[in-house]
Amino acid sequence: MLQVLFDSLIRTAELSLLAVGVTMTYGMLRFANFAHLEFAAIGAYLALALSTGAGLPLPIAAALAIAVTGFFGIATDFVIFRRLRKAAPIMLMIASFALGIVIRETIRAIWGPSGQSYGLPLVRWRVETWEARPLFITPYQVTVIVSAAVAIVAFYFLLSRTRLGVAMRGTAENAPLAQASGIDTNGVIRWVWFIGAAFAALGGVLVGLNTQVKPDMGGGLIIEVFAAAILGGIGNPYGAMLGALIIAVAENATLAINWGPVLQWAGFEAGDFVFIPTGYKAAAAFVLLILALLIRPQGLLGAKR
Amino acid sequence: MTEPLLSIRGIEKRFGGLVALAGVSMDVPAGLVYGLIGPNGSGKTTLFNIVSGFMRQDAGTVTFDGRDIGRASPHKVARLGLCRTFQATACPTRMTVMENMLLAPQDQLGEGFVNLITRPHRVRSQEKAYRERARELLAIVNLAGKADEYAGSLSGGQKKLLALAQILMADPKLILLDEPVAGVNPVLAEEIAGVIRRLSGEGRNFLIVEHNMHFIRSTCDRISVLDAGRVIAEGEPADVLGREDVLRAYLAGPATRPAA
Amino acid sequence: MTGFIEFLVYLFTIGGIWGMLSLSLNVQFGIAGLINLGHVAFFMLGAYVSTILVVLNGWDITFGIFAGGAAAAAFGMLMALPTARLQQDYWAISTLAVAEILRIFFLNTSLDGPYVGQALGVSGIPRPLRDWFNAEGYSNAAYNWFFLGLVMACLLATLLFCLWLSRTPFARTLKALREDDAVPLALGKRVSSFRIRAMAIGGAIGGLAGGLFAHYNAFIEPEYFRPIETFLIWAMVILGGAGNMIGSLVGTLLVMTLYNSSRFVPGWLNDLFGWTIDGRVYGSLRLVLIGVIIILVILYLPNGLLPERRRKSAQ
Repeated sequence: MLQVLFDSLIRTAELSLLAVGVTMTYGMLRFANFAHLEFAAIGAYLALALSTGAGLPLPIAAALAIAVTGFFGIATDFVIFRRLRKAAPIMLMIASFALGIVIRETIRAIWGPSGQSYGLPLVRWRVETWEARPLFITPYQVTVIVSAAVAIVAFYFLLSRTRLGVAMRGTAENAPLAQASGIDTNGVIRWVWFIGAAFAALGGVLVGLNTQVKPDMGGGLIIEVFAAAILGGIGNPYGAMLGALIIAVAENATLAINWGPVLQWAGFEAGDFVFIPTGYKAAAAFVLLILALLIRPQGLLGAKR
Repeated sequence: MTEPLLSIRGIEKRFGGLVALAGVSMDVPAGLVYGLIGPNGSGKTTLFNIVSGFMRQDAGTVTFDGRDIGRASPHKVARLGLCRTFQATACPTRMTVMENMLLAPQDQLGEGFVNLITRPHRVRSQEKAYRERARELLAIVNLAGKADEYAGSLSGGQKKLLALAQILMADPKLILLDEPVAGVNPVLAEEIAGVIRRLSGEGRNFLIVEHNMHFIRSTCDRISVLDAGRVIAEGEPADVLGREDVLRAYLAGPATRPAA
Repeated sequence: MTGFIEFLVYLFTIGGIWGMLSLSLNVQFGIAGLINLGHVAFFMLGAYVSTILVVLNGWDITFGIFAGGAAAAAFGMLMALPTARLQQDYWAISTLAVAEILRIFFLNTSLDGPYVGQALGVSGIPRPLRDWFNAEGYSNAAYNWFFLGLVMACLLATLLFCLWLSRTPFARTLKALREDDAVPLALGKRVSSFRIRAMAIGGAIGGLAGGLFAHYNAFIEPEYFRPIETFLIWAMVILGGAGNMIGSLVGTLLVMTLYNSSRFVPGWLNDLFGWTIDGRVYGSLRLVLIGVIIILVILYLPNGLLPERRRKSAQ
């Protein structure tokens, strides 16, 4: 049980960092940026190149990688999406899908298809708790949770306590009005790209730290991340975090729950032990996404539109 | 007295805490051009949306041609013979003017697969008949020369004319026009008014929402005034527009009243 | 030289099947404006249903392929149901998820014992008239020519059907739905019925293509049906021009040629410039190239190479 909760927490941290950027660009520019997930892979690979390749210490390499990815986010807007502000949303979606493939395949061409790691030593702590089974924790998992928490608190202060945050919220709510009241909306949009891409890059580094650095480490999470953003309500960053939590718990709980008694209770003929095979883990998020869209398309906390 | 074509009884609609319509009742008899006026935010478009099935009222009934349409979906309302235009939404832009016209008729054989395959000749002859009718109607609204242009390339006023012609193509019993001359130059507005008068003379029934008082005066036989979700006056335009409470409602503007 | 001709036969057979896919997406997107990001689901369903019925239940191949088309059509109708409630872009994202759920289902379900289905895929799918060709002593190449003819006949039939369809009053109403529901609704159109039928038609064609593919390739696995395949179909439609059926085929030819160019381009580069490109790297580069082309088309040629044609009313 504790292991399930702990795994869910790690997953929440990773998905949150990716979903915040998706929901911000979606809320402000009104399009689903499928390429957003690739920022995670860019960040992870840049950190890899700067640390194991160029020999920098990993934290410095990661910080540099995150900043560079942030600027890369602004660059994608400058080169592609800025020119499509008046185009139909589908054109933006297809363009972002194409950009995502360009990024992913470029990474695959440069670094190869197989998974790589930051070359840190394998450490695993065994924590005895009140449960019969001990809890296994790695220091990297702790790093994931702590970094994500710090980033999210910083984001909260940015959004609620700074002039930039106020401008961001104003632009998301009503861009023409914000512009009329003297907010540099183009500047705000640049910041949104920077922050969104940087958060994704941090998420990518953390995923790489916890598991592996792979070309499809971002793109493979596309539906989970969009499910989190939509569940929480598009344009609502805190909603996206809540959505990430729900997706993470659902994925891990679906596998951990013994469905036998549940099915028997529901009147089906079932054995005492029925577990859903691990292969279906991803399907949990997808099914949740579709249910969420059908039942409450405005999201749990309400979309900011 | 004969039964009115459209009868609205006690319609109420709230958005959150805001009351948009507070018990609106009105009768639209057949054979007239009926106007619905009121300041911004008085609930005219909301009432239009409810009558045409695009929105659900919280209370009240709508009876059209002897049938209860209070809970009917938009396409059912249209099929019963009550068709509307929109303030902002124009006709599909990436279709030609002629395609827009041919879109309108209901019960087209060519919209169903069985007919397309088993009765291709009937489909073709029906299309031909519709095309001829479309040409006649386009001639009335002076768009005959634009039949093969994309609707998106028309001017704002021409789009309004196309919307009017398109509705006529559907051959409804009552035509709801939402601001037919808003943003249209005076010459074209005059032309639209003329077309409506002419069609009314041929037995068409209209219910029109419009801000342009000159247009209302010259076009409508009878009007109702809506203010803050209520009907405050009803009668012939010349009488109603002279009444003091009506003038006050307009002069007060939306700022002093709860916005809706 | 014979190698190159054999490659061309392969390219046009596969390209013909993909042409059916891009035509069916063009019916859904180009005419009806439906942003279906899960189009590969129809292809997958057609391939799997036909395979299961033919391999495991012993059906005739023709019936199997048509059953696959019917299953995909039914699936398309199901997918269309939420369009009435969902915003366009949300529906688009959910179609992506639906296709992935279907793939995960086939990835985790054993079809017959532990060695059939799942990630292992299904092998030994019978090919139409293959036994007859063997018995008569025809070569492999002759059979491939026969299959090319079969696919081309199907593609031609699909093209004629789509061209006919796009001229019907039915398609006219669908075109009105591309932009907004309000006007068609106010004119009394049962909007959801039109969308459901558009998804069914596109689904049926996609399913037939899937059946043809399964019985051509003689092997299928879930790996063939990833979201990238849907992207390639979109690339064909956008490149060719949404709403233009001939454009879809032009787009298919270009994208398929690029996609399969790994067969000859690395060799040419080596012969001409002495560059050696790893096959795997080139496999990525061709996708980068397709992606860049699509972005450029969207930026500078949003209506595609062959824009939708304006329909003049006959005098």
